[in-house]
Amino acid sequence: MNRAVARLLTSLYPRAWRARFGSEFEALLESGQGGLHTFVNVVLSALREHIFPTQGGKMNQPALSFGAIVRRPSAFVPMAMSLTALALVLGHIALYGAVREADEGATAHLWQILMAGQLPVLIFFAIKWLPRAPRQTLCVLGLQAGAVLASVAPVLIFNL
Amino acid sequence: MRSTRSVVAPGNDAGMGRFSDPPLLVLASLASGPKHGHAMIEDIAGLCGTRLGPGTLYGAIARLEQQGWIEPLPPEDRRQPYRITGAGLRVLRARLGTLQQFAKAGRKRLEAL
Repeated sequence: MNRAVARLLTSLYPRAWRARFGSEFEALLESGQGGLHTFVNVVLSALREHIFPTQGGKMNQPALSFGAIVRRPSAFVPMAMSLTALALVLGHIALYGAVREADEGATAHLWQILMAGQLPVLIFFAIKWLPRAPRQTLCVLGLQAGAVLASVAPVLIFNL
Repeated sequence: MRSTRSVVAPGNDAGMGRFSDPPLLVLASLASGPKHGHAMIEDIAGLCGTRLGPGTLYGAIARLEQQGWIEPLPPEDRRQPYRITGAGLRVLRARLGTLQQFAKAGRKRLEAL
């Protein structure tokens, strides 16, 4: 296989993986004939390495800290959405009282959008970070779950 | 992503699939001595007719190394040879033992037909 193509295919892998296996993998690709089968195989393997990284993507790098993970947008955005939803409910209760209304108002719709909208972000976060740093990710997921419960609690307690 | 390609001409077993457990194939290949990637691919193709894709091979190598079942040797030019470790040999023996029992039981059932 052409050296440039081998380098391009190797570059599809995560940086940590390349630092460990990049040179030898490139040499292996260069020694092969290439072809569509090889191309597809490498592209899919690189994708898999991004989703389920070897050694949690750490290789020789230090482990990811809780602080580093919780600062990721996919970690704090769901929490922010839950807390915004909680603030909306509490604000609504403060202004109009804990009265169940016959028709769902704007606040209820916003609450629903915020709660449902964070689901794909939560799933993305779990899929991306659980294999890389399970313990820290579980802690963040616990915080996210706590924020969701805090937001749902007043709705259930006051039967809104 | 697992991808293997059969290099054996289709015979009576066509459509029955092929043996394609990349980590086990790599361990079996290294059981006969240290090898680098290209040599492993050729050895495995000769061993069981399965040609591993480079991505599949290195997916298996990375995970086997992570488990401590294989280890790298000093590189030869840009090629990196690997060898099986003691733990890797134990795992290979256990897996082959299970496969042997499975094959034996399967043969007995066929004989009983």
